[in-house]
Order: sequence, then structure tokens, then C-alpha cells
Amino acid sequence: MDRDVLRRLEKLNQLSLTEEQKDDFLAFFAKQEQEIDKLYTKDTEQVERMVHVMPIMTVVREDIEKKLFERDDLQKGAPETTDGYWQVPRTVD
Amino acid sequence: MNIYLNKNEKASANAVVLDDLFLTKDMPTTGGSMMLKGYMSLFDAEVISKLSAAGYDIAGKANVGEFSVDLLGETSYYGACAKDDGTLTNACAEWLNAGEATAALCFDINGTPRRAAALCGKTYIKPTYGTVSRYGTIAIACSGETVGVMANNAADCGKVLSAIAGHDDKDGTSLSEAECAQVKNGADFTKIKKIAVAKSICDSADDATKAKLAKFREVMSAQGIEFVEIDDTTLALAKTAWNVCMSAELCNNVSRFDGVKYGHRTSNYKTIEELYTNSRTEAFGELLKTIILFGSETLSTDNYMRVYDKSLRIRRVVVEAFAEIFKEYDAVLMPACAKTSYTMDDVKANKYLSFDEALYTAPASLTGLPAAVVGGVQLIGKAFSEQALLDAAAAFEKEDK
Amino acid sequence: MKKYETVIGLEVHIELATESKIFCSCSAKFGGEQNDHVCPACCGMPGMLPIVNKHVVDLGMTAGLMLNCDINRVTTFDKKSYYYPDLPCSYQTTQWFSPVAINGTVPIETSKGKKNIRIKQIHMEEDAGKLVHDDWTDTTLVDFNRTSVPLCEIVSQPDLSSAEEVVAYLEQLRSRLRFAKVSGCRMEQGSMRCDVNLSVREEGSDKLGVRTEMKNMNSISAITRAIEYETARHIDALENGTEELVQETRRWDDIKGKSYAMRNKETAGDYRYFPDPNIMPIVIDDEWFDRIKASLPELPEVKKARYISELGLTEYDAEQLTQSRAFCDCFEAACDECGQPKEVANWLISDCSNILNKRQMIADDLTIDGKALGKLIKLVLDGKVQRGNAKKILNTMFDEEIADIEQYAKDNNFIVSNDTGAIEAVIKAVVAEDTRSVNDYKSGKEKALMALFGKCMKQLKGNCSPDMLRELLIKAINEA
Repeated sequence: MDRDVLRRLEKLNQLSLTEEQKDDFLAFFAKQEQEIDKLYTKDTEQVERMVHVMPIMTVVREDIEKKLFERDDLQKGAPETTDGYWQVPRTVD
Repeated sequence: MNIYLNKNEKASANAVVLDDLFLTKDMPTTGGSMMLKGYMSLFDAEVISKLSAAGYDIAGKANVGEFSVDLLGETSYYGACAKDDGTLTNACAEWLNAGEATAALCFDINGTPRRAAALCGKTYIKPTYGTVSRYGTIAIACSGETVGVMANNAADCGKVLSAIAGHDDKDGTSLSEAECAQVKNGADFTKIKKIAVAKSICDSADDATKAKLAKFREVMSAQGIEFVEIDDTTLALAKTAWNVCMSAELCNNVSRFDGVKYGHRTSNYKTIEELYTNSRTEAFGELLKTIILFGSETLSTDNYMRVYDKSLRIRRVVVEAFAEIFKEYDAVLMPACAKTSYTMDDVKANKYLSFDEALYTAPASLTGLPAAVVGGVQLIGKAFSEQALLDAAAAFEKEDK
Repeated sequence: MKKYETVIGLEVHIELATESKIFCSCSAKFGGEQNDHVCPACCGMPGMLPIVNKHVVDLGMTAGLMLNCDINRVTTFDKKSYYYPDLPCSYQTTQWFSPVAINGTVPIETSKGKKNIRIKQIHMEEDAGKLVHDDWTDTTLVDFNRTSVPLCEIVSQPDLSSAEEVVAYLEQLRSRLRFAKVSGCRMEQGSMRCDVNLSVREEGSDKLGVRTEMKNMNSISAITRAIEYETARHIDALENGTEELVQETRRWDDIKGKSYAMRNKETAGDYRYFPDPNIMPIVIDDEWFDRIKASLPELPEVKKARYISELGLTEYDAEQLTQSRAFCDCFEAACDECGQPKEVANWLISDCSNILNKRQMIADDLTIDGKALGKLIKLVLDGKVQRGNAKKILNTMFDEEIADIEQYAKDNNFIVSNDTGAIEAVIKAVVAEDTRSVNDYKSGKEKALMALFGKCMKQLKGNCSPDMLRELLIKAINEA
């Protein structure tokens, strides 16, 4: 991790750090790298990854349509809307 | 010190306060972030319906650190939860101290409420993952976060937990009604008799914390409970595995906060990129930004297998280590945090203190196991052993008076 | 000039035919007022959790089986992160690690013969919203109606080598998936879209050339033109060094007939896929698998062959019917009822198609009950209802369900009368009134009979066997 990688990382996450914050982040990241190395004291070659801690499976619902919310309510807190659309600066295709 | 974000003046004495990560229809929900200043949800969290059904009022909304991933609440945009002398405190605990609620629901995303209970002398229960619906919470670290209950004593924790636990079709990780029933008052349980002490984790705490651990052991030993120190090196791996999972999930979950649909939008933009970047840069605090960037990097193509996938494997290793311990012991004792008091200076000196403190809170977060905090220490139990944990906590409270 | 070959792989997105969205209960229907099919979940607000629509999994499996894939009995959902205003959560929930179906094949036939196109995988995912660009205000307007509408993405291996093969492949996909009711596959409505990955290499080379991707193609003719243009551009670059080929995403402008490098979208690249902690693995047990397997329809080409060999239809009729599952279902049910395949085919191909055309509907929109159609045809064949009246009844069947066709015909006076007394009474009155026509006929003007016949039939409201009427009429004239 260096300033170039960090710049890409900021862009990817739509954030912009100050120079001081960048230094802090690089130090933080270096420390976390050391912590991650410690995970390798444990061999996990034969261990299956665990995403869900509870062994429940197949949570599905029936295909039933329900209208529960109105557009005007959903857009009450919107920064900018036009004619029932959310509005943003023109995107480039 | 800002404790109260919203107060329901009409609430009865039998009222529960919510930290500001639970969505409420009639009060704003901010998650402690500038991003959601004034945000009004169109629906209530499931736990609110459950509390109402059980006859509880909502006392109001308590201040919380930005998306509750900090130490105790010091990163709230609405003011740090710190006393005049700089000592950090916690908003939910202060509501209880003020006698304005009988219990608090805290969204246990990253262990903050466990630290808060330990430091503020409260009793707290983090239930088994999947026993309380997360519908209507601000999702941050979905694979391990649970709704917890803080109160002045174990009995109040138990009552409120019994009110909110239960299956919910709206939460795909919700366990069956029968499984949820096991954590409620009245369920059969086996009393805790033998407790494993996580040696190295306990040893890493400061002397004041060690004294609390010693006090707990002394009181409980007098009641015939046996303590045995065990090798906990595997449990200690939970810290980094959790920090990785929590950060990655947080990065993904807060990416929806982009200034387009609701919440903070910068006034300084011409392009969509500027709208995104400036809105997020202005509205998120430094700790959050750090976690977002770290989490993103753990998921990058270059790091995924080495960091994220590894952490998911370590999660299974830790789950299996607990299972092994529980063959012989009924619970595991460890601190909830390293010290008995923190100040603003501590978090200024180390902005990422919650990453270090995960040593104590990550074992239960990563595995979904229930954990009780009482007398400033933490007891982690088997899945669905909430009643046994609260029973032990009540036994300690009785003798501690 | 050296000889070149084109290597094409397709990613085809099809919108699944469900009532509700993939993770929330909002309507999945096409169209609607902007942001009318939307809830907090599909406009990116906090608090709601995804619950998988079971029918989406049914259709994902069906698609897999229709394209000869293996089904992953444990299938999981993952999150893919990038920022774009049509993606309200800034992540798309899709399948990365364990998609519902893998390793399929689709047989195609072109002028060069038969060929199998391999399918790499089929995954289930949510669609993005729709952006409307407003040139006047230089803004983009966001509509989330389409957000979280369920999709299957069908990823082929790079086995295609020409526009003709691509068209044959797409038509094969469309036919199979429409038959299995997985999707309407209507390109004009965006329910079937296609990303074309194309590269060109020297013939015989085992090294792939530089690959470009054209996204969101939504008409067969545009795809054909785009492939031809892009192939020529690549060859030109390789042969004449007109430009340096780079791996990139391009946009096809069908009006100008050119492809352009896209300037910006998603350039950042790293999607940071990871398993969705909120969605539990979906385990497809034997019962579920068998139920889907049993529900699969006969393939259209198999049906066609059977209609010809077993039911005696002409090649043309069989081809017409097997263009649409709705027609086949109706045809088979009607045949079961009346046992006259040729007759049923005629009714469907001429009469029903006419009615659909008049209503600006397509074959798949046919919803009339096949059993009822069979009954109606039977009534006609038994001489109980006149053909003209049967067509009137058929038209009504497109508007409303008629539970009992015979009863309906009775109630509306469409039943052919066998009451010769009543018919004779009508004839008697007509003959008595129109003496001129009677006399004309008697003096040898055959046409005059038709006028009398028409008048009688009109008064009888068509409910009379023409043969009987003719016979009785001539008898009455001769007696007059």
C-alpha cells in the first residue's frame, strides 16, 4: 500500500482524504497488515470458509406482489427530484 | 455531552430507549452520522413492534457513535459522549443512569455496547445471532451484528430480551420461533457450573480490569462455580478476522449513502463523481473513512483470498474452538475491554482503538455466540444459553451488593 | 490479406417472468409511472433485508435445464460493488461463487451446418434502474422501477464465430426460454439484452486477439450490424494498423452504424465481490429439483416433429404453432377436447392470429382456454353452431372467460335450430313477402335464391343448417 494505491482506493470508494489523513491511513494499514500476517499462524488449507454462523438454509418467499410504499413518501427526504424522478448531474455514457 | 437525540416526553416509566441505529417512523434516525441528519424512515424496526406488543413505550433515541463502530460513541456527528473531564461515556448507559428508561436496545455492531456496559457498570446481553430480528436496523456488519439489551440488572435485560426475541419473516437470517424461544424467560436452561478463563486475553487487560475479573471469580467461586484457565490463542485470532469482515461489510453497506436519494448532498458539485465524492467526504468521519478504505482493500482482487477468504476460514476455526471448549465448560470468561476508563485523549492518541479492543468483543461477534456483561466482565456462552448467562449475572449482582 | 476469424462470446440478460422483484415485493412489471414500483429496499434506503423470491430460483433452474446445464444444488448470492446512479445500493446482488447453473450446451443450425455452443454459467441477479438523460437541463433522471427486477445472465463460451451464428444462438435461447415461460425475451422491451464480446485472430491461431465488449444490445438487426462493423474494424486495425486495439467497453450507435469507446462508466474496475451475509445458501433438494424437471416443456423442435408425425399437421402449420408456447398449450388442450388437430390448427393460425393482430398482441399473449376452444370447434363440427356465430363466440372468449361454451351458445341464441316447423314458418313468411324473387327464381335466375336464402338466414340469426334451409326453401318455392 502506498499513496498511489491509496489514491485509487479513494476514487473507488468516492472519498478524498487530506494529506494528514493519508499518512494516518498508511500507518494504520501497515499495522493491519501485521495483524493479518498473524492469521497465518493457523493453517486453514482444509478449512471451509464460513459466511453464515447459523446453519439455516433456503430462506425464500412466495412470488406475491405487494405495493407498500408511495413514491412521494420515498422522495420526501430526497436532495433533488424532478417530476417523480431522482435527479443527478448528467452521467456520461 | 450529547446524550439525547430524541425524547418521547409522553413515555411511561416502563420505557425502553433505542440507540440511533434503529429506524423509527416518528423520529429521525441518524446512525450518529452527518450523512443521515434528519433522515426519516418510512417504517419502524421490527423490535419496536415487539416492544409495543409487550407493553413497553419508546423513551427516545440515544446518541451513538457514527454507525457504532467506534469505542463508546465518541465519533457521533451530534457530539461525543464524553463527560466534562474528558472521560468517555455512553449515551444508552446515561439514559439508564438518569432513570429515564428501564432498558436500552443497542445495536451491537462492533462491541460498543459491551464496552459501555462494562465501563458504566451496567448489565448487558448480546443474544445469539438470529434470535432477534435485524429488520429496520441500519445494517453495517451483517454477518455478526445483533440487537443487544442493556439495563441496570440482569432481570430487566431478561424481560426486554424476552419481549424482542422471535422469528421474523422479514429477516432472512432469523431463526425459527422454537429456537428463539430458548433465549426467553421461562425456557429450560442448565446452570453454569464450569467457566473457562481466556488466559492471554485476560492477561492483556490493565490491572483495574484484572481486579474486576478477580472479583467476579471470587464471588462466583463462592457459589460453587469452577474456573479453569485455558489456552485461548485461537480465540485471539477472532480480532483480526472480525476487523476484516466488519470493515468489508461496512464498506459495502455504507456505499448506498452516496448523496443521490436521501441524506447529505454536498453543495459543491458539477459532475456525478463530485456529487458522490464530496457528499461522502463531507458527511463521513475519519474513522469511518478509514474502515471503508481498509474494508474495500480486503475485498480487492489482489487481496481477497489472502485477507478476506482467510478471515472467513478463521471464523470457522474460532467457531470450532468454542465448540471444543463448550464440551467441557459452560462459558468463557474474558474482559469486555482493556481498561476501566477511557478519555478523549485516548482516542485522539489512537483513533483506531476499537480495532485493538476487538480482541475482547470480536470472539462473540465473529461467532454469533451470546455474551453477557456484568460487573465489568464478559461471559460468552453456548448458542441459546442466554438464560444461563443472565442467571449467572443475576447471581453475581446479588452478592456484589 | 491474411485470413481472419472472429471469436465471439455472449452475455445475455433476460428478465424473468415473475410478479414481484427478486428481493422485495414490489411489482416486477415492465413500465408504470416512474418510481411507482419502488420501496425503501429497491431505492437504497437502510433497514430492509433481502428475501429471495422462490419463483426466481424456479426460473433460474428451468433456464439451466432448458440449456442442458448442470444445476448447482447449493447456490449462493454475492455482492458486486460500484457506484452508478442506476444502482441505488451502490452494489448489485448477483451470483459469483456458486451460480445456479453451469456447463450447458445449446445446439444451433446455420447455413454452415450444426454446431453446439457451450454455456459457461447462468446466474441470477437483480437488474439496475433506468436513467433518462435530459439534454435541456443537462441532468440525469433516475427511475428505480426496474431496479431489482430479477434477471438471469447467460454466459456463453467464446464459441461463436459470425453474426449468423449469434442470431441462431439468440433465437434458440429465446425459443427455449419463452417455451419454458422463463422470460418473455422481448428485446424491444429490454427483457432480453445482450453484451457482445468480440475479438479477431488469424485463422488457425490459438492465441485470442484483443477483446472488445459492446454492452446492452437490444435488437437482432443491431447486433448483426455491430458484429459486422466491429469485425471489420478489428481486421482493419490488424491488417493496416489504422488504430491500436485496446480491451475496452464500446457503445454501438445503430443510427450512425459505428461503435464508440465508452468514456467513463465503471472504469474503476474492481467490483470486490463477496458473499452476501444476509442471504442464506439456497439448497435445491431432490424434491425441488424433480418438480422443476417435471415441469419442463417439450422443446419446440420436438413438438413440431410430433405435430407432423403424430397429429398429421403440415410442416407450415406445425411451424406456425410452435412459435409460441401459448399457442401449443391451447392447441393441445383443444385437440384433447375435440380430437381434430387440423381443424384446431386452422382456428388458431387464422382466426386467433387475426384477433390477436387486431388487438396488437403477440402469440404469447393468447390466454383463451384451449378446452373451451375445443368445445367450440366440436359444436361447429357437430353442426350445432354455425361457423360465423362460432367466430363471434371466439372473439368474446378473448374478452371474458366463458365457463360453459354450449350453455353460452344457448343463452345467446347461437344454437342451430332443428325445429323444421319454426324454419318453415320463417320461409313461408319470406316467400310470401318477396314474391318478386320467388318469380325470378322460378324464371331461372339462380341468384334470386341467394337473396331469399339470406333473408331467411338473417331472420333465423344464422342458427340453421344451410343445407337444411336450402332444401326447405326450394321446396317452399316450388310449392308456392
